[in-house]
Amino acid sequence: MTTAKSTVDDIGARVAEVVRSLAARAALTRAQAYRLRLAADEIATNIVLHGYGGEGEVGLCGGVAEDHVWLRTEDSAPPFDPRDHDPSPVLTADPATRAPGGLGVHLALAAVDELRYEQVAGLNHTTLVVYRDA
Amino acid sequence: MSFAAKSHVWDGTATIRLTGELAAKSAGQFNRVIADVSAQDPHRLVLLLDELTYLSSAGLRSLVYAHQRLGRGVEIVLVGAQPEVAETIRLTGFDRSVVMQEPTGA
Repeated sequence: MTTAKSTVDDIGARVAEVVRSLAARAALTRAQAYRLRLAADEIATNIVLHGYGGEGEVGLCGGVAEDHVWLRTEDSAPPFDPRDHDPSPVLTADPATRAPGGLGVHLALAAVDELRYEQVAGLNHTTLVVYRDA
Repeated sequence: MSFAAKSHVWDGTATIRLTGELAAKSAGQFNRVIADVSAQDPHRLVLLLDELTYLSSAGLRSLVYAHQRLGRGVEIVLVGAQPEVAETIRLTGFDRSVVMQEPTGA
């Protein structure tokens, strides 16, 4: 687990490093690693930007199982379950004029094979899973 | 995590070559380039994406910004997006507001 106070300018690099390590250990394909990174980047950036309002502590950890790779974010921002996000308003809007926001969580949900959420001891735990044989 | 955006405007077409990773940290840099080329009133914006290796939602929001800066009548053409980048564009419906082309080699 790596925990550090992060901003939107540095959280992406932290996520990329964790995914790079997991991808190497699990021999993920380029597409699998890309999907995991995109989802983790979107979730972590969302936590920093909207959960904390620009800066806050985000924990990152991950692991390799026989059939999947997982990466978890941990934060103390207000509770937010990404699975409750309804992307339809933003997706049905004209892309050229749509309001900013709402795309990131949609991308995260679409990119991974599973997204799990739970609250543990007052922290948000969001776990992203990519199947190794997918 | 490097990013570069090099632009030129010729005969009403603004062309921007994106290199590296377009995400939260680099979107502001790209937006400034869009603002620069929009000042020359192009009627077409071509984004060369073959060297763009990563695109997040923050980068996609720059496409909304480009539409808004340039106006609805300006065609935006994305050329040569790598498969993962193209999939990200499609997942968010942006392929409905731009023209996506394979590289022509021209």
